[in-house]
Amino acid sequence: MSRESEARHLDGGRGAPLTSASAAHDPVVTVSSLTKRYGELAAVDGLTFALGRGTVTGFLGPNGAGKTTTLRLLLGLARPTSGEALIFGRPYGELEHPVRRVGAVLESNDLHPGRSGRDHIRALALADEIPLRRVDEVLALVGLDVASRRRVKTYSLGMRQRLGLAAALLGDPDLLVLDEPANGLDPAGMHWLRVFLRGYADRGGTVLISSHVLAEIAKTVDQVMIIDRGHLVASTRLDELAGRSQTLEDAYLELTSGGIS
Amino acid sequence: MSGRFRSELLKQRSTPTTLGLLAGMVGLVLLAVVLHGFGLPTEDLGSRDTQLMVFGRGEFLGALFAGLLGAISVTAEFRHGTIRPTFLVTPRRGRVIAAKLQASTLLGAGLGFAASAMAAGVGTAVLHARGIELQLDGGDYALLVAGGTAAPALWAAIGVGLGAIVRDQVPTLIGVSAWLLFVEGLFGGNLGDVGRFAPGTLGMAASGQEPDTLLAPALSLLLLTLYAAASAVAGALAMARRDVA
Repeated sequence: MSRESEARHLDGGRGAPLTSASAAHDPVVTVSSLTKRYGELAAVDGLTFALGRGTVTGFLGPNGAGKTTTLRLLLGLARPTSGEALIFGRPYGELEHPVRRVGAVLESNDLHPGRSGRDHIRALALADEIPLRRVDEVLALVGLDVASRRRVKTYSLGMRQRLGLAAALLGDPDLLVLDEPANGLDPAGMHWLRVFLRGYADRGGTVLISSHVLAEIAKTVDQVMIIDRGHLVASTRLDELAGRSQTLEDAYLELTSGGIS
Repeated sequence: MSGRFRSELLKQRSTPTTLGLLAGMVGLVLLAVVLHGFGLPTEDLGSRDTQLMVFGRGEFLGALFAGLLGAISVTAEFRHGTIRPTFLVTPRRGRVIAAKLQASTLLGAGLGFAASAMAAGVGTAVLHARGIELQLDGGDYALLVAGGTAAPALWAAIGVGLGAIVRDQVPTLIGVSAWLLFVEGLFGGNLGDVGRFAPGTLGMAASGQEPDTLLAPALSLLLLTLYAAASAVAGALAMARRDVA
């Protein structure tokens, strides 16, 4: 699968779905007509896209655009009103050992303040019968091996993000879903994450990363999807934006409502 | 022993909550037994029913704290958001509830055993200290501890189910406490026959309380098991259907 062959198919432009040929053959994520309504409000409205192996995709949009809802539908935490979201061709809930295929860091920072970081990861490992030596591996990988024995309430926001990432990496997954991972990371942490994600994608891993910090996204991803009010308004490769002498910020502001997020 | 069960046990012992519940329960059992044991007049404490009532405070407080422990095993996950990583690892939510039921009933049985054995032991010592003759035999003690272990284990399952239905920690814990401490206590006596079928009263009957009024221990445990099963099934259904925001 070459980057060029993908590029041809990812140029969709405004509102067009990402339907990469490579993604169709080897789909990691396939979202079709995904809709989630809360009463009258459609948080996600007819979203369609596909992600191929080895790509790092930025998922952009103003606050409240439906990014987090989309990720929760993808991860089986919420049920779509209609449409479907598949990972490796199946709904998340029907994957065998899903954490060995998909790792997720959610924005909500889901940790018990009275539990140590290590026990948090150990409880997750036990539930899927992942060997406990893997717990120490992922804690070392994110640089939390020493602090992991302290209770989470003593952690900085950046440490909590790293702990979330350690949980996501526990099952050595093929897909990483990260919701606003830049929150709370210092410049060194952000740099580390960027290098890590690049290496992960180069080894064939797929990354979907939501953010509203455009500067961060521009340095990390190779394609972006922009959603606004539950609709996909654009999907494009970053190098195509550059070809049109447009910055990511220009495109984003042009496409999203009001331009203020 | 399944990984999910071990995971739930680790969750319970890796926060200060479980120890806090144990400490609170032990303190209240001591307080209740000592206050009754030294506060009641000698002629009252001389009767078998009163001795059973005082020693049975262990079962009652064990049931209360086991119910809270079971409820917290679910509601704490919603309160701190850890339910999301839990469901990401185990998206079949019924399996999560099943593991929580196993872990909570085991720990609930432990709380109940500790509370009822302590109440019987301390109660006996207090009677001895006051020179009041003990009216209970070995069978009574065995029932106090056996029923006092089994009923809290079932109350822990009731708590898991309620926690899964309500999700919010504070209303759930207030609900469990208010039901046992006030609703059954205040109105149970006025409801006559119906009051005997209330879940808290069934727990007391299971440990041999008021043998002339309440249902037989075995029947009480059976009915309490039905309450626990109904609560667990309702909780699992509620959990399966609703989104995790």
